[in-house]
Amino acid sequence: MNKFRFFIASILLLIPAVMFSQMKVSGTVTEAATGQPLPGVNIQIVGTTQGTTSDFDGNYQLENVKTGSVLEFSYIGFVTEQVKVATGTINMAMKEDAESLDEVVVIGYGTAKKSDLTGSVNMVSAKDFNQGSVTTAQNLITGKIAGVNVTAPSGAPGEGTAIRIRGISSISLSNDPLYVVDGLPLDSNGVGGSRNILDLINPNDIESMVVLKDASATAIYGSRAANGVIMITTKKGKDKDFTFNYGTKASFYHSYNTVDMMTAAEFRSVVNQIGSTAAKARLGSANTDWQKEIFNDAVGYDHDFSGVGSLLKVPVRFSLGYSNQDGILKTDNFSRTTASLSLTPSLLDEHLKFEINARGTEINNFFANTGAIGNAIRFDPTQSVYDVNSPFGGYFTWLNTAGDAQLNLAPTNPVALLELRKNTAFVERLIGNVKMDYKLHFFPDVVGTINVGMDKSKSKGRTVQSALMPTSDADWNGSLERYTNERSNKLLDAYFTYSKVLNDHDIKLAAGYSYQSLDSDNYNYDSEKMEDGNTYEFYDLEKEVMLSYFGRLNYAYKDKFNLTATLRADASSKLNPNDRWGYFPSAALAWNIHNEKFMANSKINELKLRIGYGEVGNVSDLDPYLFLTNYVGSESTAEYQFGNAFYQTYRPSPINTEIRWEIGRTLNFGLDFAAFDRRLSGAINVYNKETIDMIIPALIDPFTNFGNEIETNIGNMVNKGIELELSGILIQKEDLDWKLSYNISYNDNEITKMEFDQPWGGIDGGVGNNVQIMTEGQSPASFFVYQQVYDDAGKPIEGVYVDRNSDDVINNEDKYYYKDPYADILMGLNTSLKIKNFDLSVSARANVGNYMYDNIASSKAIPYDINAQAYLSNLHTDYFETGFQTFTETNFLSDHYVSDASFIKIDNVTFGMSFPEFLKKSDLRVFGSVQNVATFTKYTGLDPEIYGGIDNNFYPRPRTFTFGFNINF
Amino acid sequence: MKSIINKLLLLFAVTLFLTSCHKDLDQSPIDPDSFTEEDVFANPTEAKGALAKLYASLALTGQKGPAGSADIAGIDEGFSQYTRMLFNLNELTTDHAVVGWGDAGLQDLHGMYWSGGNDFSDAMYYRLAQEVSFCNSFIANAAALNADADVQSYIAEARFLRAFAYYNLMDLYANVPLVTELSTTLPTQSNRAEIFAFVEAELLAIKDILKESGANEYGRVDRVAAWALLSKLYINAETWIGTAKYTECITYSNLVMTSTYNLNLNDANGNGTAYDELFLADNDTNGAQDEFIFALNFDGLHSQTYGGSTFLTHAATGGSVPASMIGINGGWGGLRTTKNLVNQFAVDLDDMNTALGPQTDWGLVGSATPNGWGSVDDIEMFQTGTNTYAVYADLLSGEMKFRFNEDWGNNYGDDGANGTLEAGGANVAIGAAGTYYITMNLNNNTYTVTPFLSDKRGMFYSAGQSLEIEDIAQFSNGYAVTKFRNVNSNGTPGSDTSGNFTDTDLPMIRLAEIYLNYAEAVLRGGTGGSLTTAVAKINELRERAYGSTSGNVSSINLNFILDERSKELYWEGQRRTDLIRFGKFTTADYLWPFKGDAPAGAAVASFRNIFPLPPDAISVNPNLVQNTGY
Repeated sequence: MNKFRFFIASILLLIPAVMFSQMKVSGTVTEAATGQPLPGVNIQIVGTTQGTTSDFDGNYQLENVKTGSVLEFSYIGFVTEQVKVATGTINMAMKEDAESLDEVVVIGYGTAKKSDLTGSVNMVSAKDFNQGSVTTAQNLITGKIAGVNVTAPSGAPGEGTAIRIRGISSISLSNDPLYVVDGLPLDSNGVGGSRNILDLINPNDIESMVVLKDASATAIYGSRAANGVIMITTKKGKDKDFTFNYGTKASFYHSYNTVDMMTAAEFRSVVNQIGSTAAKARLGSANTDWQKEIFNDAVGYDHDFSGVGSLLKVPVRFSLGYSNQDGILKTDNFSRTTASLSLTPSLLDEHLKFEINARGTEINNFFANTGAIGNAIRFDPTQSVYDVNSPFGGYFTWLNTAGDAQLNLAPTNPVALLELRKNTAFVERLIGNVKMDYKLHFFPDVVGTINVGMDKSKSKGRTVQSALMPTSDADWNGSLERYTNERSNKLLDAYFTYSKVLNDHDIKLAAGYSYQSLDSDNYNYDSEKMEDGNTYEFYDLEKEVMLSYFGRLNYAYKDKFNLTATLRADASSKLNPNDRWGYFPSAALAWNIHNEKFMANSKINELKLRIGYGEVGNVSDLDPYLFLTNYVGSESTAEYQFGNAFYQTYRPSPINTEIRWEIGRTLNFGLDFAAFDRRLSGAINVYNKETIDMIIPALIDPFTNFGNEIETNIGNMVNKGIELELSGILIQKEDLDWKLSYNISYNDNEITKMEFDQPWGGIDGGVGNNVQIMTEGQSPASFFVYQQVYDDAGKPIEGVYVDRNSDDVINNEDKYYYKDPYADILMGLNTSLKIKNFDLSVSARANVGNYMYDNIASSKAIPYDINAQAYLSNLHTDYFETGFQTFTETNFLSDHYVSDASFIKIDNVTFGMSFPEFLKKSDLRVFGSVQNVATFTKYTGLDPEIYGGIDNNFYPRPRTFTFGFNINF
Repeated sequence: MKSIINKLLLLFAVTLFLTSCHKDLDQSPIDPDSFTEEDVFANPTEAKGALAKLYASLALTGQKGPAGSADIAGIDEGFSQYTRMLFNLNELTTDHAVVGWGDAGLQDLHGMYWSGGNDFSDAMYYRLAQEVSFCNSFIANAAALNADADVQSYIAEARFLRAFAYYNLMDLYANVPLVTELSTTLPTQSNRAEIFAFVEAELLAIKDILKESGANEYGRVDRVAAWALLSKLYINAETWIGTAKYTECITYSNLVMTSTYNLNLNDANGNGTAYDELFLADNDTNGAQDEFIFALNFDGLHSQTYGGSTFLTHAATGGSVPASMIGINGGWGGLRTTKNLVNQFAVDLDDMNTALGPQTDWGLVGSATPNGWGSVDDIEMFQTGTNTYAVYADLLSGEMKFRFNEDWGNNYGDDGANGTLEAGGANVAIGAAGTYYITMNLNNNTYTVTPFLSDKRGMFYSAGQSLEIEDIAQFSNGYAVTKFRNVNSNGTPGSDTSGNFTDTDLPMIRLAEIYLNYAEAVLRGGTGGSLTTAVAKINELRERAYGSTSGNVSSINLNFILDERSKELYWEGQRRTDLIRFGKFTTADYLWPFKGDAPAGAAVASFRNIFPLPPDAISVNPNLVQNTGY
């Protein structure tokens, strides 16, 4: 609470003693985004001709101003502001007009004006971020950008997020975009004990997120940019007096969504109907909703304090943040403390600029045992949670005949799973970079840049399971597992940029070199292995080095044509020396039609036609050293007995001496437009994104290699799509401002070459059953299922499927490709309305054409266990629809369980109220928001939005209510 | 000038820096679990770890027990274990087993409707082919250490294991590539005869390099294994290559039978037979090891897998089978057997009694009989000679007397329990309930009550199980099999106290099988053996099975051999091969429940005598042609 005390003290200090009016008004006009003074701003007393303009330092002065009159500040490219005169000092921070052409966008190894962009690049800056309870950076842009799908894998607190830009482009390698934080590309491997690659960043510290979508924009990141690049720029200090911001919010997470399992009464009646005498005797007398026992409403809160200003002429920003969030799964908790410092000094008459960022994060995770979810779904609702006779801490347990252990394979009491296991992790992470720009004194057209970055993390975790935990091990006496995980990511970038304007020709050249190394060092300890006399300490070490050269040419002619060409050469130590280097070129051309003479008098402010082509690569997640003959030693649980001794064995690994980069090629056509004084703006992009030499675990001849499968470049895939973004200012009046933006994208994803089908999407129910397939000519992860036959009443007939090849046998050859889990159409809608000091924003999303396999219904609606096992397990209510009785491969793979999961979700509604000059210079904003407001779908399972398309033991997303305030001073 | 020098120096420094960075790209594995070829073949001690893998890849599934670093991709790791797949392909496809699970491709096996691309037949092919390339690599790399006598044996063992892999490939898939050296060239396909010739030549070549009989350590093979595999090869020669080699079979079976290996006759747990010891947790020390010519070793703590004996014990346990009896923590409720196997062991007392002689009015009465003392329907005896009577009867614990025509007027008991009958004498005590052979001799007024010992090889669990199978998915349909147990001879469970993983080793070739091969080869016309020896050897097996000579036979024929193999070797991975050799696997000659996916059993097309090559293996190697019918 120290932060809070500091905050109160600060407020008291700033309360002004006296407030009175004065006839002479003066002040400084600054640019809100940067804090830089803004010269040449028109300042007019409304209703008069009296006015002035701000000077070079942004200062202005007006004599003889009547108290109560209104000053209007206007400047091209900025929002016009009006202020009622109350005091003699009126400072104005001018906000940039939305979609201003002069907006500066961070691109790889440099920046560009938005007007000069030639690729498909979207920037979302802080003012447009999603509001409400956002603890993960990825969620700031959910639904904001066409073609960018953001799906959280679960409702767990602090959970990471799968971002897919323009569909999936790889099968066995990563589909995650590259995240670049202040120029430092993050290691795509997560940090042990951490839930999210981006949880090192307090979302409040982010100034903007730039999404590079097409290869002409991403190619500067070469081999790592196959899935797009997300560039995160953090907030920086400003050359002005210190201002501070404090924000806090409290969130309430409501658990509202559970799987439709039978109630105790329903289950009892089914068992009585079909169960044997023994089965009926197992029924208990309780009525337990196990899902209610493990999920509850939860709370979270968040404090954030930051200061921006200049200290000894050095612009400084610092921030402190603290988040604490409980999960709706009992015992789940995430807490994070962040501290950041940014210094941006300039020396030698602005010739030498430094950007120093340092960010420390401490995360404490208490991971709830998510195994409780599946067990709560299965657990017999007629049993009570507690049983005084249970030898397992009083938790009801299905016991074996000896009564000393849990019956093998029986579900475990989910409450015991939660309460008797402690899985904690403590993560310390330090990420920082020093960037130095030196504008050569003797040749000021050239700027040399060196960026040195480091991302170091250290995690410690432990899992303790109580001796009272129900297990089928009669000698169970509890267990302890510990691990440490150290990762280190070091970066050195060195590049120069040359800029020259020669008459109508504007040339920028950049060329440079990049070195990055990624080290990881894991240690594991397992007490159970120790008790068994096996090796109980494990070490796992890895190092990867990447080396790159890159160059870029930007050429502009008369503001009409822009050309960008890039080339990057990348090498990775993972690959064999002969195929190690990959070369990734790109070129893009833009024509600013609106700058042509014939457009001079039109209502169209911007019309830019773009065409770009680029190649990028991917080896993220590829196993290293596939080209070497490696032997893997066996662990002490896989030794072999000769005589009376056990021997460690050595296995040669399969070899692929020819593994190469997976290549992505994108051709993109784009049209950016703005009209009616930029009240309407938008973009259309059409793309064809091809992945060639796609790396897939391919079958190999086992007689001539050391296995039957190895990662090989054997496939091709294509994503084709069209994206439209529209944003409009519907009303812009003095006290009323209404903006609406909408995006829609269509993506068609198809595997165009695949030598071997890859079974995909392993399911619960039987072993080795896969409900999806990767096959040539189909979308990736297409469902591959039997076609269910239904009776006249629409009820599926057990074991009856369409004999699609008419050979009178139902076997593998009767399966067919039926839909896929990826949405064909994504839509996002964002609107914000400001009336005086009130603001309201709503964001909604829709996915169309995404299909889902309900694995709970398929595997938990078959009453096999009732008579086959010495325990009972609950049934899904789909049993009332199907009445299926036996577990067969065909039942699991029936298309009955695959259904359309298209949805419309209202993600967020935020309502805020601002109190400008709440206390003298302090602005206060109070807000409330609801997240995950409503979902409209025909899908009957838990949630239509589950990444991968298989609904099974999903951690439900809560509905979140957040209240908070934010104060500037 | 100075500035130029400075600039040049700078350039030089930069170049140096970049060069050193380029070298940084040459990383090599730094993980402590990773080894290079130089490490592994540095000396004979290390090479033994590579040899261990050649054995382990038939017992385990990868480098992390029980799972986590699989040898075979594309299938559940536990499913990819060699003996588990051997069970699925060679036992589950026959009258010996059914399984209740709905795993991909599993029901297809008993139903005999598997397609090309069956998970199990594919993975078995990959496992065996991988074993071949592991062996080839070992043989090539270990050659450098060949000066060492141990390494010479290692190499010969590797050649044995490669021959064993090819023996399996030939049995299951018939036409596979023959690869005997490390190479990256896609191999051509060989036919069954070529594989046969290779296996035969290899075994003949190594039989004198392998260690002397009994000279190797437990778990590793000696030359007897080569002879035994030759015996197995030759008994099938007529089926596989169309040339009978029964004489050769007899030759090598003879060598095996006269080696240091012995039939285990040590009834370590004292239950009346030394047969079950072969499948107990301590079968590496309880005497069974003397019978194991080639066994795969398991250990609950150090050699963990979801296949092997862990599979055979857990999968066969379900219903009310007490897990503690099997020595595990609980069952997976999957495997049972059909009535065909159970009936092999069934004893029909009526038939046996009828064989004794004509039924008489002499009978047994008492609390030890089902009808009790108040019986009006005694257990009638059969006349075996003048005034001699006998009967096989199921008796309860209690007392009984002999009487004539259900009338107390003429009855005998035994005063003083001395074996002599007295008219109206005292009741005869019957200790434990069971089947007894009772004789009465009125010539000298004596009687005998001896427990009738049946074939103890039939280890079934019937409580709560039905003999008939109506629904394969239900565990209660069909008897459970309790042959494999993770219990030591002294009754304690195996080393993994959690009861997850078992210690029980699995014999791949044991002496009893060679006895049966010998007898069969003799019956099929091989020379160099004798029917008398064959019968004697069969009787050795039966004496162990019955715990007495009561089951001995005086003559044998081929059908008897097939049945005897079923009883001796069931669930040991031999049945399909045997049925094929006897022409009964696919034909209508012999049916069992759900053969051909028909409840009463039906014939299937004969192409199913061999399994398909994995379709993916054919697409990888266009030299391969799929087996006919698939």
